[in-house]
Amino acid sequence: MGRYIVRRLIAAIPVLIGLSILLFAYIRILPGDPCVAILGQHRTPAACAALREHLGLDLPLWQQYISYLLKTLSGDLGSSVVNSQPFLGEFLTRFPGTIELTAGALIFSIGVGIPLGRLAARKVGGWVDGLITGVSLFGVSIPVFVLGLALVVIFGVILGWLPTQGRIDARARFDATSGILLIDTLFAGRLDLFVDVVRHLVLPSIALGSIPLAIIARITRASVIEVANEDYVRTARSKGLKEKTVDNRHVMRNAWLPVTTVVGLQVGGLLGGAVLTETVFVWNGVGRWVVDAIENHDYPIVQSTILVFAVIFLIVNLIVDVGYALLNPKIRYQ
Amino acid sequence: MMFRAALVDPQIVRASRGLWGDAARRLRRNRPALVGLVCIVLFALAAILAPFISPFDPYAMNGSSLDAPSLTHLFGTDLLGRDIFSRVLYGAQISLFVGVGAVVLALLIGGVLGAIAGGFGGRIDGVIMRATDVFLSIPSILLAIGIVTALGRGMVQLMFAIAVSYAPTFARLLRGSLLALREADYVVAARTIGASRMRILVRHMLPNALTPLIVQATLVLATAIIDIAGLGFLGLGPADPRTPEWGTMLVDARRFMQTAPHIVVFIGGAIVISAIGFNLLGDGLRESLDPKLKR
Amino acid sequence: MSDQHLLEVRDLVVRFRTHDGAVHAVNGVSFDLAAGETLGVAGESGCGKSVTNLAIVGLLPKPAGRVEGGSVKLEGRELTTLKEEELRQVRGSEIAMIFQDPMTSLNPVLRIEEQLIETIQAHREVTKEAARTRAIELLTAVGVANPESRLRSYPHEFSGGMRQRVMIAMALALEPRVLIADEPTTALDVTIQAQVLDLLRRLTEERGTATILVTHDLGVLAGMADRVNVMYAGAVIESGTTDDLFANPRHPYTVGLLRSIPRLDGETGGKLVPIEGRPPDLIEAPVGCSFYARCAWRTDRCATETPALLPIDGGKGPIVTSGPTATHVAACFNPVAPAEVAEGRPLPRSGGSTR
Repeated sequence: MGRYIVRRLIAAIPVLIGLSILLFAYIRILPGDPCVAILGQHRTPAACAALREHLGLDLPLWQQYISYLLKTLSGDLGSSVVNSQPFLGEFLTRFPGTIELTAGALIFSIGVGIPLGRLAARKVGGWVDGLITGVSLFGVSIPVFVLGLALVVIFGVILGWLPTQGRIDARARFDATSGILLIDTLFAGRLDLFVDVVRHLVLPSIALGSIPLAIIARITRASVIEVANEDYVRTARSKGLKEKTVDNRHVMRNAWLPVTTVVGLQVGGLLGGAVLTETVFVWNGVGRWVVDAIENHDYPIVQSTILVFAVIFLIVNLIVDVGYALLNPKIRYQ
Repeated sequence: MMFRAALVDPQIVRASRGLWGDAARRLRRNRPALVGLVCIVLFALAAILAPFISPFDPYAMNGSSLDAPSLTHLFGTDLLGRDIFSRVLYGAQISLFVGVGAVVLALLIGGVLGAIAGGFGGRIDGVIMRATDVFLSIPSILLAIGIVTALGRGMVQLMFAIAVSYAPTFARLLRGSLLALREADYVVAARTIGASRMRILVRHMLPNALTPLIVQATLVLATAIIDIAGLGFLGLGPADPRTPEWGTMLVDARRFMQTAPHIVVFIGGAIVISAIGFNLLGDGLRESLDPKLKR
Repeated sequence: MSDQHLLEVRDLVVRFRTHDGAVHAVNGVSFDLAAGETLGVAGESGCGKSVTNLAIVGLLPKPAGRVEGGSVKLEGRELTTLKEEELRQVRGSEIAMIFQDPMTSLNPVLRIEEQLIETIQAHREVTKEAARTRAIELLTAVGVANPESRLRSYPHEFSGGMRQRVMIAMALALEPRVLIADEPTTALDVTIQAQVLDLLRRLTEERGTATILVTHDLGVLAGMADRVNVMYAGAVIESGTTDDLFANPRHPYTVGLLRSIPRLDGETGGKLVPIEGRPPDLIEAPVGCSFYARCAWRTDRCATETPALLPIDGGKGPIVTSGPTATHVAACFNPVAPAEVAEGRPLPRSGGSTR
């Protein structure tokens, strides 16, 4: 098992290097004078000089790359051209919001998606199956922000059941230590605020999680159907095992496998979709920050955000692969 | 009822018309796929016939602001008094054009890369695969955002950005197919009887490798329409802010949700119907092109 | 002779509902199985031999497959009307099955240990340790070396033959009265086949387990079975002791089957004789003899009347359905005469027209 993890880590290195090269090149291939291209309307002679120095544009290319690499690894991910704040600090302030949102969406999509998929597989061909498949189809066909807007209109504007903006009531005052409000409110003993945070999480999580929900439901259904037809399930039944045992130990233990892989892949989509969701729900996270950065042509922010998200995605996939190997002994012992 | 066997040679005769013939026949019986086809036809007709059936000029601001749907303005009007129905029709043009363009471009880029990787194998394959890994590690929206931010706004840039985010998937798909097919029994058999490499590639490998690609392209087209709208919504759509691109039109929808919820319904509905169409068709194609299914 | 057999199947009918119509997979199959005997079932793919077995234990693929008639009695107890929970208790502990492909018949993500122990604990109130000990006994009995350590292995770490041995161990874990072996060695190498068959015979003899051995390989039956049923198109068309059947086949299909096997003592240069044509499409209910289209001995009567299983010597006494004195029966209006067996085709009969 340990060897497998090491192998996976080693395999990830070329990708990380490639990623760094890509992002390094990204800022340098912007058309035109870098000063104009990057700083845009914020350019001043002093800023230009600082930029030249920061990017090391007078040095040979490979030296620039090494410099970029070293800076990145030491946490210097550039600064905003708008307010000159370094990336890392700003990012860490906003990241917990995105984590909460992504976690909410993930819980929603897995918590609802897998049972739905199982149900559809059990009643395959019936109307329940058709309904679930239809819902799943709808889920992948509706853009995250359209669904978000629709939810806001229905539940916020028309019904007024749930809040549609922000992460918590704007008037709330309490100690926010970690930035993850679910945890902070609990630690501060403010159960009322905790509930408020949860209420704010509902609609954005549903919107963001809709596509992964649909995909997870689909793959679970397909996987369960396929496994249910395998010979070893027939063997299990012929041994006189209880149907529940057959279902859990023989069908699901094998059906999980493709689902796990898919869940890992969906995280990438979630990170991207967070950008749109945060815009719709005025959610204070990295997504909104990136959108603002786009409008302001704040390239260093865009570049570093992409880098960080990609690294997170790679890490998540590594964890998923390890999880998959834990579940599937054939991979483990290769 | 006479037992068939008693009269004729009991071979079950149901002529096979080859992969495509069988697929077409199975597709015709697949009801969801037909529904999808209808949606796609609607979408395409809206796009193609927009100049002819559009009741108003999509740029003309002749209605009052944010009107609810009425007989004159079927979908209502937007902030500047423009007829939303007309704008949706013209918006279909943009979605279709950019979407199809992006997918075709992605097929070209990804296809060529995948063919090289799968055809040559070895070091080249390794390098190309690492490169696709890099691109695949970036969430596709962010990749597209990055490219459009760098290249500037515009329809071609949009097309290119979306194409780049899908190309790696196509590359992997084709490469995977080719690698698997190289070892497939019937390819080895063809080699044994002395067929040339070119002939093997064209007659044996490509037809089988292309079908998953076609299925994927159809499904990707659905996502492309959605992604294009997403980028428009973020303000990265075509440069001219008056352009009736569906995602860009939805920016207003958010600002005026209280007073004008109809915007979301109709524009969102257009996007959903188009996407559902391609998804249904893609699923139908996948089922009917699978030669292993007996029916 | 007791008046009740261990397993009695009467007029079993199984149909599958498909998009193209109902498939009549099993059309009135009857046979008995006595304690301790080995009944071979021969026939080509699609003749209904596997379906019959699945029907006996209630494992037909739902919802398509259904038993639509007949009865299955285990020691006098009717199985077709049992509730699912009761049937579940029969499976594994009274009637056990082993299947054809050992590669896919074991759960790939569970250790052998778990799969053996769950079998035992599903039917017996024992502790895990006791079950584990039993599992080791079983693995030893089937010839797996180092059973304690191999318990922790996963199926993919075993070879095909070893996996089949594990399957046998699982099947015999609860000392079932009946073992149904569906093509147990078809997927194995020839050399391994012999080993596994030997093992099977030894174990079932030791335990007195009655066996239904399904295979299309007549050579296997010759060595293992006491009696043989030959099936075609969902029905038993000939039945008798192995010796009787091989020495004196009567149904044209059986004759064809036997002639299509190359013989060591046959003439060199002789040709293999296949049976022309293909088995019938079972979508429609059979009328007349199901072998009609491929039969060289057919008469007009065969097209419209379905022959019943009757003793080949035309005797009118009681038909013995099991054991070494089993009556040799065949379902044919115009059975093959002994002289015609060697020729493989009808010979002109004295007296003119066919009966």
